[in-house]
Amino acid sequence: MSFTFAIPSKGRLKEQALAMFEQAGLFLEIPSDARSYQGSLKNIPGIDGKVSVAFLSASEIARELAAGNLHAGITGEDLAREGTAEPDAALEFVVSLGFGHANVVIAVPEAWVDVDSMSDLDDVAAEFRARHGRRLRIATKYWNLTQRFFADHGIAVYRIVESLGATEAAPSAGQADAIVDITSTGSTLKANGLKILSDGIMLKSQANLIISKMAKFSDRDRKITQELRLAMDKVLVD
Amino acid sequence: MTRVVGETAMTSISNQLQAYFQTQTCAMPEIGLLQPADPFLDTAGEDLRRRIFITTENGGKSLCLRPEFTIPVCLKHLQSGSEQGQYAYCGSVFRQRRDDAQEFTQAGMEDFGAQDKEAADLHILKHAVSALKSVGETDLKLVLGDQAIFATVLEALAIPEAWRKKLIRSFGDGELLGESLERISNGAEDRFAALPSDIRAKLECGDREAVSGWLADEMVKAGLPLTGSRTPTAISDRLFEKFELASEKLDSSQRKSLEAFLAIDVPLVDASDALAEFEAHNGIIMNGCKEALATLSDGLSGKGLVAMRYRAGFGRRLDYYTGFVFELYRSGMDKPVAGGGRYDQLMTLLGARLKIPAVGFSIWVDRLSETGK
Repeated sequence: MSFTFAIPSKGRLKEQALAMFEQAGLFLEIPSDARSYQGSLKNIPGIDGKVSVAFLSASEIARELAAGNLHAGITGEDLAREGTAEPDAALEFVVSLGFGHANVVIAVPEAWVDVDSMSDLDDVAAEFRARHGRRLRIATKYWNLTQRFFADHGIAVYRIVESLGATEAAPSAGQADAIVDITSTGSTLKANGLKILSDGIMLKSQANLIISKMAKFSDRDRKITQELRLAMDKVLVD
Repeated sequence: MTRVVGETAMTSISNQLQAYFQTQTCAMPEIGLLQPADPFLDTAGEDLRRRIFITTENGGKSLCLRPEFTIPVCLKHLQSGSEQGQYAYCGSVFRQRRDDAQEFTQAGMEDFGAQDKEAADLHILKHAVSALKSVGETDLKLVLGDQAIFATVLEALAIPEAWRKKLIRSFGDGELLGESLERISNGAEDRFAALPSDIRAKLECGDREAVSGWLADEMVKAGLPLTGSRTPTAISDRLFEKFELASEKLDSSQRKSLEAFLAIDVPLVDASDALAEFEAHNGIIMNGCKEALATLSDGLSGKGLVAMRYRAGFGRRLDYYTGFVFELYRSGMDKPVAGGGRYDQLMTLLGARLKIPAVGFSIWVDRLSETGK
């Protein structure tokens, strides 16, 4: 398998990743055919030939890195940590790229004036069944991050309700009691009458250059990885 | 993953255990390999999801490979409608484990509805020991703890109820319990500053109606349903509870007493004396605790266990475990060969309308076949 590298195929993550290559002086050749999802990097110092670049969805990059089907990629840390059961065993988070900032947070209704911290939420979760006849429900698409964070805080008795969009509306729609979601400014949460718990920031995420620990690397692959890392570092220092 | 000891040895141990159960007039209900996942996730919590094998039916219903027997046996009992029942089981269970076999064998017994709990506790413990002996395990050590005793200590020390609940929830996890103790020893930060000043005033003068009325208005404004999730009254009640505790903290003598209790780790025969000493030292009386431990100690004295210990801080962090828990070890092995305890909350969680006391144990059959002796 020749070296495989992936960047997000759409949105701001894609634009900012492309901008970063440009600043790094790496020329990313994108085929004129707009439907093509394959490009290539030329002029990587010390590397003969082109390095192909796949444009994939950001969460697919996370999954494929963890599976070892990609050598390296750029994607959000939130997706990478969510996409695999043991992220640090499968992935090396090489460098944070300074864009794509988003926090994964746990938010509850502002009307829960008695709940400020995870410790409060623990109390509420423990009594939920007795008071309301069912477990506390958390709407999220971040199953793994939520399970890990709640386990770290000793909270076991709750249920996750999968939510793939408009998660912040789940409490008012009666689908869940609280949510775990990404936010960059918190304004969407506020508009939906939700507040972030004082110790409820689960992950401060941004786009990362990530290397798979599961893929097999040839000497050339290693060299390419090293050069990509240097190029990114250089942009960040400048 | 295959084991060194062949399937024949395993089957023979399983057969012997089943033969033991059959002599004890236990029902051995058929429990399917594929089980609805919700009862497990609802009782043990979402955290269990990572540790079991879940699949989805075409209709969207979640099913899982049987991760244990207790919950399905409880459900069978509830279906039967009878008040009392003794059950036994033996078969494969499936868990996601990295360093161990993901399919392994469990065998055990459950006793539901016995009103004399002390007798039932002793009874189930004796069965666990006898069942293990029936397959040649004679070199056994017992460790036991009791959450109910911890709850009694908290009450006797006059710890406020909200803290008691929190501490009981951390029971069995030394680190978590330490954190909870630390938090209440430091006193709460003033988290009420964010409230509007008029509501803060209502909080101070104890006007519950005004606070829950204000909350109802806020929830309507935010488009939140007033029923179905936390109600204005539920939020208000907890706010008042928290407010009343905000000025309090656990004093250092209470903390020292709790830590001294949790450090008790003595041979079971000395456990009653250790509790008596603890009572005298703290000027408190804990009804029934010494007697419960003495009953177990006396009752087990003829069972030929090589060691029996009472560890005051030993417990399981599952909210349906309410009383005594135990583990049996083969000498020289660091993983238990059997474990069990009392879980009086489980039937309620599974939908029982009346309280049904429950106690049981489970044997790790694969560990019996491991060469240790």
